[in-house]
Amino acid sequence: MPLPEVSILTKEEKELIHSKALELLGEVGMRIRDPEIVKFLLDAGCKSKDEKRVIFPESLVEESLKTVPKKFTLYNREGEVVANLGEGTRIFAPGSAAIKILDFGAKEPRLPLLYDLKNLVILVDSLKNIEAQSTALVPDDVPNAIKDAVRLYVILKYSNKPIVTGAFTIENLTLMFEMMKAIREDYAEKPWAIFDVTISSPLTWSEITVRNLYDLSREGIPAEIISMPQMSATSPATIAGSLVLHHTEILSGITISQLINPGAPVIYGGSTAILQPNFALPLITAPESILLAWSYREMARYLGVPAHTYLGLSDNKVIDYQAGAQSMYSALAAVVGGFDIISGPGMMENELVQSLEKLVLDNEAAGMVKRVSQGYQMGEEQLAVDIIKKVAELDKHEFLSQKHTRKNIRKEFYFPDQNIWDVSSRDRWDGQDSLHRAHTMVEKILKEYEPHVLPSDKLEKLNSVYEKLWNKISEKPKYV
Amino acid sequence: MSAKSAEEEKREKELYDAIVDGDEELAVEASKALVEEFKRDPRDVLNNVMLPALRYVGELYEKGEYFIADMVISAEAFKKAMNEVILPLFRKNKESSARIVCVFGTVQGDIHDLGKNLAASIFTSEGFEVIDLGTDVPPEKFVEKVKETSAKVVGLSALMTTTMPNQKKVIDYLKESGLRNNVIIIAGGAPITEEWVNEIGADICGNDVFKALREVKALLGLEVLSQTAEEGEKVMVKSVKRGGDKDAAS
Ligand code: B12
Repeated sequence: MPLPEVSILTKEEKELIHSKALELLGEVGMRIRDPEIVKFLLDAGCKSKDEKRVIFPESLVEESLKTVPKKFTLYNREGEVVANLGEGTRIFAPGSAAIKILDFGAKEPRLPLLYDLKNLVILVDSLKNIEAQSTALVPDDVPNAIKDAVRLYVILKYSNKPIVTGAFTIENLTLMFEMMKAIREDYAEKPWAIFDVTISSPLTWSEITVRNLYDLSREGIPAEIISMPQMSATSPATIAGSLVLHHTEILSGITISQLINPGAPVIYGGSTAILQPNFALPLITAPESILLAWSYREMARYLGVPAHTYLGLSDNKVIDYQAGAQSMYSALAAVVGGFDIISGPGMMENELVQSLEKLVLDNEAAGMVKRVSQGYQMGEEQLAVDIIKKVAELDKHEFLSQKHTRKNIRKEFYFPDQNIWDVSSRDRWDGQDSLHRAHTMVEKILKEYEPHVLPSDKLEKLNSVYEKLWNKISEKPKYV
Repeated sequence: MSAKSAEEEKREKELYDAIVDGDEELAVEASKALVEEFKRDPRDVLNNVMLPALRYVGELYEKGEYFIADMVISAEAFKKAMNEVILPLFRKNKESSARIVCVFGTVQGDIHDLGKNLAASIFTSEGFEVIDLGTDVPPEKFVEKVKETSAKVVGLSALMTTTMPNQKKVIDYLKESGLRNNVIIIAGGAPITEEWVNEIGADICGNDVFKALREVKALLGLEVLSQTAEEGEKVMVKSVKRGGDKDAAS
């Protein structure tokens, strides 16, 4: 039986969107705010429009679509295979780059520090349904010039999981490469970090992000190309219009990457939102945002490239019913959308705030929705006709006494962690709500769990690059 | 004021509605008719028709009937009539527009511009003249523009914790150039807090454009259009308070 997977565009509709995107790329093109890259693109066959925009001829785009990898393997720090991206792997990663952290019991979030990031990384290392790390907090006690790269260090040191990350600057990206290289020479051939590069909708590449894309493609490190149209503000108010824009922008990214280095791995990414019309906030969990995500997922499938989304999170300020509902329904939408990478867990308040407790809760949500997305088997064993007959013939009124039952409960049912997700009777209930239980769990994990700390020989090498990073700003490295 | 003909009143209403509905063409056409055919003083048209229309737009927003997008569209219509009809006449009459100049931009290292663009639009719709320097703007560019335009308000947008310190840089540059006390400085963007504003020596916390707007207006001694007020004339207070004594202004 096919996996439960949403498909909402017909073949004709996908072709229509693709052709509209080609039309836009051929007529208005993209504004690219880096003169050197503009020059590179013009030399490679793009055209210039009004000296401002770069036109991407259809032939160039289609050529790029031939060289872009349909699949590629994601590894962990140790170099073991984690997943083949492009097969709808549904890897959850914490929502990234939060400006603040919400402590348990606090009403207002606060600025995160380096040790918060360490705690978050250790926590995520332990959570089994969040298979990837992300540079999820931006530590306030680290100088600005190196904040982006310091975040990566903490993960490299404390976790074996693959990483979703990104640079805030042009310069630090190379140092981030060096950090990975200190751990594994084959960091590019067997990548375990994916780098986000974002497009400034509508139709603009900023200097910083297009440079990042350039450097990533050249090295052959996976670039997650993210378009983030905020419907009604940076894209049309209609889902279809935003889809055309989204697809156009991603096509430009894929083309740039393939012109730089044919075969460079990319992920078709997105962080969809509406601009909330009264309050001008990016509302990621709006229903329209989910429809748009599903739609561009279809376009990624049409091109045959791996896909990413920013769902499984909440826009709310507190961890309450609304936060749970937004997180769970958008997580479900993401897995049935069949995305390869899903950024979101832990995130709240319009992508601004992370919470450790919420990560623990979202880990449960991720487990359950992933179970949904796995579908079920329909062989003789599962159809269980013999068992049904047997029960009828024996005049039994239950299946509990059947061996078939005993075996298949374990195969078919998903069990959330009962320390978090309470499914017990009132008698057994601990009298707590899930947020309190999650807090207890956070404390327990941080006290007891032993993370995958980098072996000392490699750590030494990593530290020497880390030192270099701090030397750049003439400071002594801060270790955590 | 002498009695208006029905035709003149019709045109006034047209202009008012054009701004409320965000009809750019009609706003230009109607404002042109008022100043050309009916020989109305451009300042009178601005104060008695155009600004009250914007105030009504603000009220609709406060009531939740208008969205941000509606306000932006109204601001566009206002801007167009202003730029094409009213301002050229001011210039011809060697009058200053009496519009307060604001210099807005996203600070160096940061490319997020939606919030800044929105703020520009909303400040425009409140009658300010906003000069937008774009994104990733080096501090000296802010200083240059403030000098050139005698701006009274500087709006610095930063969306990332890593670029927030560049707001301070601009303030430092303004201090060095001796311009600091001539301007009200807004530090804008979602991560900005009151503490940060104090720390860097800015004046106003711009994590919410409407709050920032109210505070700017209070410092300048202006009333806020989007708060219901009786009189349209008072809106553009000509005596923009000199920098330095802005505390005394409210
Ligand atoms: C949309 C978005 C983008 C878009 C921006 C498109 C554009 N044209 O602006 C894109 C996708 C391009 C983008 C890029 C990046 N982004 Co971004 N982005 C956002 C997001 C989700 C929303 C910002 C937004 O548009 N909000 C809507 C507007 C209307 O709100 P606003 O800007 O806050 O403005 C309001 C007020 O603040 C105020 N205001 C703002 N400015 C001013 C100025 C004045 C004068 C006044 C009066 C008022 C005012 O008025 C507005 C209305 O009230 C934020 C998260 C967030 N919630 O803020 C992340 C966020 C800011 N981005 C982030 C990051 C990391 C990046 C990238 C580095 C990612 C990457 N690796 O490529 C790059 C930036 C590169 C760079 N060096 O600048 C992080 C920052 C992390 C940190 N700790 O600092 C955030 C917090 C998201 C996250 N958690 O990852 N981003």
